[in-house]
Amino acid sequence: MLRVRDLHARVEQQEILKGVDLEVKAGEVHAVMGPNGSGKSTLAQVLAGREDYDVTAGSLELFGEDLAEMAPEERAHAGLFLAFQYPVEIPGVGNSYFLKAALNAIRKARGENELDAMDFLQLLRERAELVAVDEALLRRPVNEGFSGGEKKRNEILQMAVLEPRLAVLDETDSGLDIDALKTVAAGVNALRSEDRAFVVITHYQRLLNYIVPDHVHVLLDGRIVRSGGSELALELEEKGYAGLTNGSSGG
Amino acid sequence: MSVSRGPSTAPYLDLYARRGGEAEVLRTRRQEAIERFEAAGFPTVRDEEWRQTNLGSLLRAAPGAASARTIQDRELAPFLYADCPRMVFVNGRYAPEASSPPRQVEAVALAELGAGGAAEAVVEHLGASVNGSASCSADAGVHPFAALNTGLFEDGAAIVIPDGAIVEQPLQVLWLSSPAAGAQAARGKAPAAVEVSFPRLLVIAGENSQASVIETFAAADPGAGGYFVCPAAEFVCGAGSVLHHTRLQADATDAFHLGFQHAQLERSASFDSSSLAFGGGLVRNDTMGLLDGEGSHCTLDGLYVVAGSQFVDNHMRVEHRQPHTTSHQLYKGVLDDRARSVFNGRIYVHQAAQKTDAKQTNRNLLLSKSALANSNPQLEIFADDVRCTHGSTIGRLDEDALFYLRARGIGREQAHGMLVYAFARELVEKASFEPLRQDLEERLLASLNGGGDG
Repeated sequence: MLRVRDLHARVEQQEILKGVDLEVKAGEVHAVMGPNGSGKSTLAQVLAGREDYDVTAGSLELFGEDLAEMAPEERAHAGLFLAFQYPVEIPGVGNSYFLKAALNAIRKARGENELDAMDFLQLLRERAELVAVDEALLRRPVNEGFSGGEKKRNEILQMAVLEPRLAVLDETDSGLDIDALKTVAAGVNALRSEDRAFVVITHYQRLLNYIVPDHVHVLLDGRIVRSGGSELALELEEKGYAGLTNGSSGG
Repeated sequence: MSVSRGPSTAPYLDLYARRGGEAEVLRTRRQEAIERFEAAGFPTVRDEEWRQTNLGSLLRAAPGAASARTIQDRELAPFLYADCPRMVFVNGRYAPEASSPPRQVEAVALAELGAGGAAEAVVEHLGASVNGSASCSADAGVHPFAALNTGLFEDGAAIVIPDGAIVEQPLQVLWLSSPAAGAQAARGKAPAAVEVSFPRLLVIAGENSQASVIETFAAADPGAGGYFVCPAAEFVCGAGSVLHHTRLQADATDAFHLGFQHAQLERSASFDSSSLAFGGGLVRNDTMGLLDGEGSHCTLDGLYVVAGSQFVDNHMRVEHRQPHTTSHQLYKGVLDDRARSVFNGRIYVHQAAQKTDAKQTNRNLLLSKSALANSNPQLEIFADDVRCTHGSTIGRLDEDALFYLRARGIGREQAHGMLVYAFARELVEKASFEPLRQDLEERLLASLNGGGDG
């Protein structure tokens, strides 16, 4: 599904990713953990196609296609979704209008019929209930004046509506209280399926109590220094990232 | 042509000499105005108020009176709102066959102004704001184009709303320009000659009356420019009256449009005006609000959406003369290509105008590197217990928002359009008359989708 090989990327002349390898198969949940500044968010932004991030070496393949050649919207059409660490406020654009435009753009690109207002509304209500998003948020402008928790839940709602094949969650847990965290995790778990994969980027192990990953990777200074099963997350919680720098094994 | 004394007024004085005449009751008013114009002359960029408005290309073109023209219904249809009472003017002349004046108010064409009826009120107020009797403070001076309009208007609309009348349906006044074939300049070149028209509007809102007026400026053929429209509008808002005004300017993109509007408000009157400018090559609007009665309020909002080499200048002057008066101004601009804009907003608070509450905001969105917006707020406050705020911003599209939309699958162009629309929509959605709101929305969307380089 996703194959990242020896990925190097820089932002404003500074190399952040220094050779990342990652392979994600359908149905899997991967956690990428690491301290601040390790390159987690850069990885997420590069995957989504942010233009001011330069890929200087390595390759990115999604569903067998070279991602480097694809615009952000084309990646979304192919089934990639990024839940932003900092969802952007867009005054003047209604949340539900925005979601309808996004869903229909994706459907159109895939040669499917666009949903009319009634069908969309029904879908939206259903998904809002699934991820416990208050309907009042649907009528407000995108993320404008939302609390931190509301913004993160809105990201999960978008994911539930757009039904991506690969979802990358960039620190979706940061800043959430335990109730909001459970809601977000329940939303993700409800969407887990055989043909869908997740990459969960997080600083803390806590989220992984609720979204149990198949694989855990530790990103340090732009490289994945260790990979393992879900038990690796617990080990990190005990020893901290510092405990891993010695004797780590890549891949 | 002499360059040392500013542009010659002779061709316009010549239009005055050759004019068709006027209603007897207006003759003196007209003569005074043209004398004022002659004394003032055309402004140049050396005049502070006209520093950023270069009239060179307009004043180099030889003016000719706009031709008389009969217009077909199908040419009018795109600009009219169904079921609205209306007055239609083509090239500055009243077209009674296309008009259906409202019953509830007195709406008369100025050229037909006789004695009696509305005439007395019209004569009292017409041009008063230009000629000084109801002028803004002395330093506002003479507005040369408003004076020129008073001297030269061929026809116009006078609308008198009786005391206490509540007029529910908006009244539309359409000012259509349709220059004779051949008047247009080659694309991108300054024209050698322009057809000139001087639309004139006077609205007198009686005490405790309520009404709304929609002015539409448009070209019968949007590709046919080479004309100069020089409108003046005066709004006399009686005590307790509520007057809504929308000014939609959709002239040809190479037309000249220099407009003047003046609202005078008596005690507790309210005047709410929206000015939406999409067309015109060289556009200037001078808008004045004179809060002359205690507790009166004016809202002067505007939107300009320009591209290509369009230039639009909004000069605002709001005067608070009495206590407890409030004014709100919100102007937003969207500029693409090499378009330029000026917003000059002056708020003048007289010493007597305690408890004034004045708010002014100008926000500009630049869509290209070559677009340029100028924003000059000016506050002059002589009272000590007032609240005056102003703010102006000039920014570009939010790249983070653009990426966010694209990352959700929305294509670059659509995402772009959504963000620009989001920026401008509050001024479109403010229109409470549904057909108008729809029309504005369509015009906004059309100007975003490849209004493009003109």
